[in-house]
Amino acid sequence: MGGAVSFRTKVFLSITATVVFAVWIVAWAVSTLVTKSFERRDAQRTTMLVAQFQREFDRRKADVARRMEAVASSDAVLRIAVNLGSPQPDTAQFYAEAQTLAREQSLDFLELVAPDGAIISSAEWPARFGYKENWLSQAADSKEVFLRREDLADGPALGLVSVRTLKAGNGLLYVAGGQRLDKEFLDSLPASEGMRVQLYRTFDPPDPNAKTAAIYQEVQKQPKELTRTTNEATVTAIPLPGRDNQLLAILLVENSRAELANLKASIRGTALLVGGIGVLLGLALSFWTASRVTRPLRQLASSVRQVAGGDWDTRSTVESRDEVGQLAGDFNRMTEQLVEQRDRMIQAERVAAWRELARRLAHELKNPLFPLQITIENLQRARQTSPQQFDEVFRESTSTLLAELENLKLIVGRFSDFAKMPAPQLEPVDLNRIAREVIALFDAQIHAPGRPPVETSLRLDENPATVSADPEQIRRALRNLVLNALDAMPKGGTLAIRTERTDGKMALEVSDSGEGLTPEECERLFTPYYTTKQHGTGLGLAIVQSVVSDHKGTISVHSEPGKGTTFRIELKV
Amino acid sequence: MRLHGWAWLALSSLLAFPLAGATRPRYGGALTVDLSATWSTLDPADGFPESLSPLIAETLVRLNAKGEAEPLLATNWQRDADRKRWRFVLRPRVFFHDGEPLTAASAALSLAPALKKRYGDIGITAGSSTLLIQSDRPMPDLLTELANPRMAIHRKSDKIALIGTGPFRISAWEPGRRLTLAAFEDYWGGRPFLDTVNINPGAARASADVFDLPVGPGRRIVPDRTRIWSSAPRELVAVLVPNVQPVVQQALALAIDRAPIVTVLTQRKGEAAYGLLPQWLSGYLFLFATPPDVARAKAMMGQLRIAPLTLSYPANDAFLRSVADRVALNARDAGIVVQPVAGANGNLRLVRLPLESTDAVAELVRLAGVLGVPERASALNAAKPETLYETERLLLEEHRIIPLLYLPDVYGLGPRVRNWDAAQKNGSFRLHLENVWVEP
Repeated sequence: MGGAVSFRTKVFLSITATVVFAVWIVAWAVSTLVTKSFERRDAQRTTMLVAQFQREFDRRKADVARRMEAVASSDAVLRIAVNLGSPQPDTAQFYAEAQTLAREQSLDFLELVAPDGAIISSAEWPARFGYKENWLSQAADSKEVFLRREDLADGPALGLVSVRTLKAGNGLLYVAGGQRLDKEFLDSLPASEGMRVQLYRTFDPPDPNAKTAAIYQEVQKQPKELTRTTNEATVTAIPLPGRDNQLLAILLVENSRAELANLKASIRGTALLVGGIGVLLGLALSFWTASRVTRPLRQLASSVRQVAGGDWDTRSTVESRDEVGQLAGDFNRMTEQLVEQRDRMIQAERVAAWRELARRLAHELKNPLFPLQITIENLQRARQTSPQQFDEVFRESTSTLLAELENLKLIVGRFSDFAKMPAPQLEPVDLNRIAREVIALFDAQIHAPGRPPVETSLRLDENPATVSADPEQIRRALRNLVLNALDAMPKGGTLAIRTERTDGKMALEVSDSGEGLTPEECERLFTPYYTTKQHGTGLGLAIVQSVVSDHKGTISVHSEPGKGTTFRIELKV
Repeated sequence: MRLHGWAWLALSSLLAFPLAGATRPRYGGALTVDLSATWSTLDPADGFPESLSPLIAETLVRLNAKGEAEPLLATNWQRDADRKRWRFVLRPRVFFHDGEPLTAASAALSLAPALKKRYGDIGITAGSSTLLIQSDRPMPDLLTELANPRMAIHRKSDKIALIGTGPFRISAWEPGRRLTLAAFEDYWGGRPFLDTVNINPGAARASADVFDLPVGPGRRIVPDRTRIWSSAPRELVAVLVPNVQPVVQQALALAIDRAPIVTVLTQRKGEAAYGLLPQWLSGYLFLFATPPDVARAKAMMGQLRIAPLTLSYPANDAFLRSVADRVALNARDAGIVVQPVAGANGNLRLVRLPLESTDAVAELVRLAGVLGVPERASALNAAKPETLYETERLLLEEHRIIPLLYLPDVYGLGPRVRNWDAAQKNGSFRLHLENVWVEP
């Protein structure tokens, strides 16, 4: 029962579990509410930002349209258109015109293009004069402002562009221009703290390892607005198509969840702190409770253990008036009653023992005394009735008297031996060796002619340990057990002696295959002067128990009626 | 009919009189010349424009449009067969601006440093009116060298920075701000028509009588009635390709379309260059002409993977920057990534190479030196024109250079300026103002 949980531990665990559970519930509830609140706020902010983006997008479109209108209606552009309509147009002189016009109208892109698509002047890439812009004829003069990828010397760019067609006489001129959709545009969006707006162009995708790469690729596969939430951020992706609905860019609105994460971490930290305090409180409370509740119980338990250990005079000192105090009072009363009963039992035992002793003595002494009485009466009768045969009778009678007196002396000697059991002289003893000696001692008796056949079995531990014991007393005890076993098998059987090394002990077993004992007999087996035999003194097993007890060992008996009896002695190594 | 005849006669006389007056040269007046270039000395070797130098100081000889030497301060000359000994006869009655006569001694004193710098150990002996120049080594290009403004005969004094024998003398010189020239009354060729020439360095006023117009796509507003005059090609714009794989150089040369550059970027003032020497100088430029072929250039590049190239151009040269951008665009069409960068450290370098001489042989020798292969010009022989073509072909085939454009000096001429075209020497790089006159 080493795993038994103390009351104090139970109290501690109960309080701790209660506190921790309560704190966890509160923290979970607060965290959930906060998360939902943040997500609601993020969604609102994203919606507002997207709406703002759309407004700004539309405003930029209108601005581009207005500026392009101004360019298209400028004298410079009209002059170029007129020149194009002349018999021998000379467009080389207008090489830098687009740059001037773009500067005047704050346009990032502006190209003046001849009817055949050849660039006359380009503001964004001046060196491209003469190159063809074939797409213009399809988009010409719709006045629509649309998103378009513009190829520049330093790489592609994204812009809001519009195309105008100018006719002057026979001259036709395409004017294509617009403004760049870049960081400055994104900066104009009112992103709140924790929000980040990114514009990924399809020709300049994010790093595949970037956090936003996944949603970018998702929208690229299926261009529609998407929102994805990770532990770090909530990202909303809005596809931005061009004039022909080709996806050109994706606007990513990223709401950082760092604030939420911090708050949750704070809640978690607070919960842990409160939980920790709760645990400490539980610890303190458990100690206090234990001191209030378990101390008297422990005192009471200690008293119980002392009583169990044989200290019958122990009394509990608990003086509280609660249930434990009442229990302690009951315990003290019970102990007192037990002591009284014990004393009465001891007294009764003593009386019973004396009665048994008297009965045994009377029985033992009566047997030799009766022949003595008969012999003496025969001797008196022979003196009176046949003096001539008196001598012969006298000789026989004295012989009988001496024999019976010897028998009496033997009986007295046995009782004397039991009374005079000496203290053991301890030395290292090999139980295997003693077992062999004893079985050899009885060999002649066992195999005596006319004796019922008894088979002996000697199973000794191959790796025995020596025990600290008095070899003579152990040998005597073993002899008694062997004698007892032989007496138990009047019709023969099997006598088995076994030694066994167990955990820190050496065991010695003596078994017979006799008729066995009843449980009641087993209980009284070691009582002095108790015997189940007609001619036993009842001291044999008492002596064995006395020897084993003097060696701080234990003896036990296992018997089943009809299956024999086994005595087991265990001595510490 | 008689009445009509007299009326026609009277009307003709009225019309003819002012026309005759307008074309007749007129002495006097001042000509204002604004030039974008700046200089702080009057030494041609130190920034003083060579186009202006002959106005003040003259050389012994000058080269005509064919690159042949013509008399100037020397009226005639002889040489030995080895071209080691040259004898020049000085023009008589030539005076310096301070009144001192030109003598063989003063000429020898002026020429000695420059000639020794060019030819090393050289002997100059002054006679009464002759000058003997001799060396242990042949001097086949001596006439070309003597025609260079750096070989102008001049003197210096504490008061006057440069005393020459040219048609104009220095009247005032404020370094870097203003140079005023006055007509030299005793000029051997006769007094110039102009009294004064006011030259303003670093100025670009459209109100000036003469102003230079940088060649380029930028539009400059010029007053009405302003005439534009271009000189003979003065510069060769080219891409130097010193350390690039030959196949890349060939592909790049094929990818560049010069015609739009000439038309748009030079506004038709330049000429497409396929060789080193201009057509008028060499006569065979058309043999090198190769039309652009982007498809072939792309095929040449094929699967060739090369690192991006940088094309550097002078940081303050807007025209070369626009040319560099166009070259990069053309190169891109052929699959060659070229990044224009300001500076001089590109893999490719876009440069202006001045054309300094009308002597084709001398010019090719000089360009071979500029390209770092002077030995290629060793086979040149002025007497054998085919060596000129062969040498230039070899220089081009080495692919150290991709010629792009020839650029002239371009001037705007105000309505007062007269006799300008006739005054300029055909093929000359220098301004000749001695025969120019102005309307009042």
